[in-house]
This record gives sequence, C-alpha cells and structure tokens, in this order.
Amino acid sequence: MASETLATRERRGSLLGWFRADTFEGVRRQRAILGYLFLLPAFIGLVAFVVGPMFVSFGLSFYRWNIFKPPDPIGIANFQRLLTDSRLPGIYGNTMLLVVGTVVITQVLAIALALGVTQLRSRKFAYFLRTAWFLPVLMSGAAVGVTLSYLFQREFGPINYYLGVLGIDRIPWMTSASTVMYTIIITAVWKNLGFIFVIYLGGVVSLPQEILDAADVDGAHGWRRLWTVTLPLISPIMLFATVINVIGAMQIFDEPQIMTRGGPGDGSRTAVMYMYEVAFKEQEFGYGSAIAVTLFIAILIVTGIQFALSRRWVFYG
Amino acid sequence: MKHQLSRRDMLKGTAAGAVGLVAGLAPAAVPAQDVITLRFQQNEARFTPVFENFNEIMPGTDVEFLNITGIDHEEVASKILNMLAAGQPLDAGYAATEATVLYAGQGVAASLTERVLDAQDELADYYADMAPICPETMLWEGNIYQLPDSCNAPNMFFNMNLLEQAGLDTPPADWTKDDFHEYAVATTGLGGEETFGYAWVNRLWGSWGPWYFVNGSNFLTEDRSPGGEWFWETFYPDNDDVAHRGGGFRWPAPSANDPATVEALEYVTSLTNEGIAPGIEMGGGASLVGLFVSDKIAMTPMGGFGAGYLVNNGMEKGQFDAQLWPHWKSQRHQLGVGGNWIFTGSPNADRMWDFLKFSIQVDQLLSQAGRYRPLMTTTPVRRSMAIAEAYEPTGPANWSVFYETLDRPDTAPIPAPPEANAVTNIHTRFTGLALSGELTPQEAMDQAQAELETLFARTRA
Repeated sequence: MASETLATRERRGSLLGWFRADTFEGVRRQRAILGYLFLLPAFIGLVAFVVGPMFVSFGLSFYRWNIFKPPDPIGIANFQRLLTDSRLPGIYGNTMLLVVGTVVITQVLAIALALGVTQLRSRKFAYFLRTAWFLPVLMSGAAVGVTLSYLFQREFGPINYYLGVLGIDRIPWMTSASTVMYTIIITAVWKNLGFIFVIYLGGVVSLPQEILDAADVDGAHGWRRLWTVTLPLISPIMLFATVINVIGAMQIFDEPQIMTRGGPGDGSRTAVMYMYEVAFKEQEFGYGSAIAVTLFIAILIVTGIQFALSRRWVFYG
Repeated sequence: MKHQLSRRDMLKGTAAGAVGLVAGLAPAAVPAQDVITLRFQQNEARFTPVFENFNEIMPGTDVEFLNITGIDHEEVASKILNMLAAGQPLDAGYAATEATVLYAGQGVAASLTERVLDAQDELADYYADMAPICPETMLWEGNIYQLPDSCNAPNMFFNMNLLEQAGLDTPPADWTKDDFHEYAVATTGLGGEETFGYAWVNRLWGSWGPWYFVNGSNFLTEDRSPGGEWFWETFYPDNDDVAHRGGGFRWPAPSANDPATVEALEYVTSLTNEGIAPGIEMGGGASLVGLFVSDKIAMTPMGGFGAGYLVNNGMEKGQFDAQLWPHWKSQRHQLGVGGNWIFTGSPNADRMWDFLKFSIQVDQLLSQAGRYRPLMTTTPVRRSMAIAEAYEPTGPANWSVFYETLDRPDTAPIPAPPEANAVTNIHTRFTGLALSGELTPQEAMDQAQAELETLFARTRA
C-alpha cells in the first residue's frame, strides 16, 4: 500500500500525472480540458476568419493601400474623408430605409402567416404554403435579382403590363431614385420572408397549450389573446428574429447589385455595396476598411438599442 | 455485449484520427515531370482546341483555365485584381480596353516590348494584317502589353423588320444625327407603345459614348503619350496612317462637363423623355439583345459581335443591318480592343509567350470554339478574317462596316485610364441620374467632373 501511494504521488508530480489524477478535481479538470478541446476548432475558425480579419480591417483603415503597392500609413485621413464624403449620407439613408422597410414588413407578414398557417385545418394545404413561402430563401440572391429585374422592367416588364391593364400608369420601378428603394425592399422581403416565417412558425407551434386554453377560459379571444398572450409568449423569438433581420438588412448586397448596380445614381446603393466598390473595384482598401468600420459600428449600435429596448417588451418568464 | 466508449478511448481515437488526417493531407512526393501547367484566365471551351494544337507542336503544356465572369468588364477586372492580391497567381489573362491600361498601370501586366521586338519576324504578318488603332490601344506609355485578337467599335444596328414597316432602308454611311432622329421617330410605336426607335445600355463602351465622340468631345481629355516609335518603325514602316500615333493613349484630365459632352447627354436624355428610347438599364446588354430580336427596338449600338449574337438569339440573316455612327460635328468612332496579357510575376512567362504567339495565327484564331466560326461573335483583329465568307451565315448586308470603322484614322479607344473602374462608376452613376431626371444633364456632368477631379487629384498626386 505504501509503495502504491508513493507511485500515485510521483504521478501527480508530473504533467501527465496532473492530467490523469483520479481525484474529484482531476476528473473535473479532465472534463474542462476536453470541453476546451472540442471548442478549439470553432475558436480557431472564429479567430482566423472573423476576429482576425476584423482587426486587420480596422488596422487597414489607417492606411492607403491599393493591394499592389505596400500600405502607406496615413493616420486618420480615411476617417476624415468619411466626414467629407458627400455620397455617404445618401448611401446610409438608403441602408436605413431598407432596414426599416424590410424589417417592419417582414416581421408583420411572418407573424401573420405563421399564425394563419397554424389555424389551417388542411394539413396538406398548410404544408404547401409553408413550402411555397420558404422556397425563395433557397434561391440565390443573384437569381432572384435577375428574375425580378425582368419583372420590374418599366417598359417591357409583366408587372407594369398588368398594372396597365388595371389602368395604372407605368411605374419606373428601377429607373427612378424616388421609387427604386421600394423595389429593392419588395424584393428583399419576398426573398427573406420564408426564413423569418419559419422561425415564427417554430415558436407558434411550440406555445404551451395549457396557457392558451387558460386564456380561452378567462375569456381572452381573437385580438385580445394575440396581444396579451400569444405575442408576449413569442417575444423572445421576436427579439431573435428582428435582430437577425436587421443585421441581414444592413448587409443586403446581391439584389440591388444585380438589379440596379446601385443606381440610378446612388439611388439604391447600400453601405455594403459602397464598401465593396471602393475596396474591391477601385482598390482603395484603406478607405473601404474605414467604411466597413462605420458599418460595424452602426450594426453594433442598432443591435445594442434592440437589446436595450427588449427589456421593456420581451418576456422570458 | 455492449461496449461503452470511455473518455480515454475517445481521446486516443481523436488523436489517432488527427495524426491520420495530417498524414493524409501531407503532400505526396511529386515525381519529376516536364509538363508545365499554365494558369490562364480564359474561356475553357473556346481555348481548349488551341491548346491541343499547341501541344502537338510543343508538347508538355497543360492548362488550368480560370473562367471569371462578371456583369461587365470592370467587374471581371476587379475579380482578377483581387484574386492576384490574394496570392492566387495567373500566368496570363484576357482583357478588353476597359482593363488594359488598368493592369499596365497597376504593374500587373508585364510589358511585352522586349518579347515583341525579339519576335518581330514572327509577328510581322500579324501586325500587317490589322488596323493600326488595334495595337495602338494595347500600348501604354511607350510599351506594349497585349496581343489583340478582337476589336469592336460601336456601330448602329438596325432592325430591318421595323425599318421596313416604316418604309425605310439602311441609311448611307454619311447619314447624320438628324437622319438618325427621323429614323428613331418613324420606328417608335410601330408595334404598339412597347416599340422604341432606339435603346442603349448604361456602361462605358457603347453607351452614350458614341454620341459625345461624334459631337467632338469625350468624357476625359485624350492625348497620345510619347514613345512607341520602336513599334511603328518596326511593324508599320511604310504606313502613312501611323505618323500621328505614339506610345499609347492617355487621358490627362476630366472633360465631363465640356459643353459638347453635356450636349450629347442632353440629346440621349431627350430621346428617353420623348418616349423614343426606353428607360436605361445597366450591364452587358443581354436583355437589350432580346428586345432587339423580338422587334421591340429599331436601332441600338453594337459592335461586330452583334452579327453572331443576334443570330444566336433567333434573328435571321437579312433581319438586321449595320452602319457607321451618324455624323454630328464629326463621325469619329470609339472602340474597344480585346487580347491576352501576361502576368508580371508569371513563372511560366516564356511558355505563355510561346502560346500567345501561336494563338494569334489565323488558323488558330479560327480554331477557337464558337468565336469566329460557325458565326462571328466578335470582330476579328485580323483583316484577312473579316471577309464576306465569314459573314455569309449571318449577314449583315453591310458587314464590311465593322472593319472599315477600325480603319478610319480618327477612331480611338473608350476613355479607360488606370483608374478605369472608378471612371466607369462615375460615368454610369451620373448618366443614370440624368436619365432618371434626378439631375439635369448639366448638373450631372458638373458633379461627375468634380468627382473625377477629386479622383485624379488623389490617384495621380
């Protein structure tokens, strides 16, 4: 017994011994290390492809760099240029309009559709609708952009043709700066509605039936039950859905790039498009990075506001 | 018996798996080989037959094609530049005028001057067989950067179905802007309110550029750099048409708000406002071709590529024709030239050069799949290929206008300096604002001028 105790002590003195220690703390340590090992691949990916490039991009915003010559440090000149860039306010205005338009319409429609589908008696019809609404999510943004740009074409597009049949004048869907953002909003809503709808559908079908039954017994029906019971119950899902919807809307690129390439003028140019054009088309990576920094800060602020306000309307109980 | 996997076994298994994975990913010993693999940004289907022919005379060349697509040339150029910057080297690529000076100016394309001089005997027939403006567009600051294979100037294409309905025929070569306007008015609305006399696409080549060219102006001031004598004396010693040519085009300053440029924009804007032209779209013009083919558009700018494009899209020979751009203050045409270039850092530049020299021989150009045969989908840079027989399957009746445009002494390239991508952005953006009525043409061009001045001050400081 005495020799075994000695061997155990010797093992504990080494690193291997420390790891293999069959004590309560040793097992806990082993579990923790195992946990970190499982996290490691994801952590490496996060650092290499998300956090690292973020820091590099932030660093680049202090340089002039056209990728073929060594970066030239210019201090805060890129940020000073941001302040005098006459295009930026309009482009951020477009982006914010896109966010407000797509998020409000998408959220309202998705909740309404999710509630409506769960009320359907025909399961087959419900499956059909769920599939139909989700299908656009599976399509590439480029394919959606090309297809809808044909539909929205002012002179030859079928949408204006049928509006004409109804006696409505042709609408310059993509060729007028005053209407083009609404065209992009309609397209973005159509493309992304299915995803938010599925999130709400998951929330609505998992609502505790006993609470809904209790609300019925207490006389809460229709709108009242919706406002006082259903929506509060799915409010955590609403928070999640609006946060990812807002972030997605702030990063919309494919549809306006394909449909209008940001035009007419800057009429449908978004912040991400501008960043892409400056950095990747005009090879001004420093200024492009400065725009990316502003976009990151904007998303951070908007998301922060969403979480701060959520304390007032999200119920986790 | 049920075996439960212990944590220790799991860790052992994971470690063994990791070792196996690393071993599997380790590069195997590569046997010594003589085959050179060229990374070539080109259309694989088009160039595979040429490489097969090349391998017959110079075995040991493999090729990895990089087929890079984009809405327009500047997007392809952006992808290539970023690919190179990301450490994915090329041996060679294809560029049109929109990117020729861009690549040369960025130091991405290698100067071919020494190689061209060394191979002057081999290349003499090639250069003798082309209009001087084509190689001149490949010169920059006295050096040459590409071997051109196609050269397209915007000509006016006519939908003969609509012209016949209006009782019109293809106009003569010396037709004027007023004649054009009469044609456009006469053909608008022929097939209902969705038929237009004229349509164009908002881009750099073939947009409203032909109008400011014939109005004696440009979007940027145009100049010829010194140098290039070596080229003209070597390949065009007895040609009177080269005396005024130099070391390539340069565009020293913006001229977007030049009165003649603004006047040209006012004219095309008036066409849309009067319902003669539809709303303007962006990009390469695929839908424009569709509308032209379906008799919705009577006239549109296209290069010689239009012959093959229109037939490939369902038009028949005789249903379309082409003519020079109408005379306004001048009848000066713009053009774009396409060809292959070699990457500055290419480790296989010698082999690539051998291939490029091989590829511009007439029989090899003709072996490019679907380019010049069975239909002409571009104007060949070699005059001997732009012959009646080549246009026999497609027309147009006035097929010779394509090369005649290149032979005109005042034909010049679209304004494409090293900042071509940014210039294209400004060009299309303010064109869109004028056409949509957000700004007057004068306001649009004043603002374009201001942005161009800021751009040049920043990039040329």
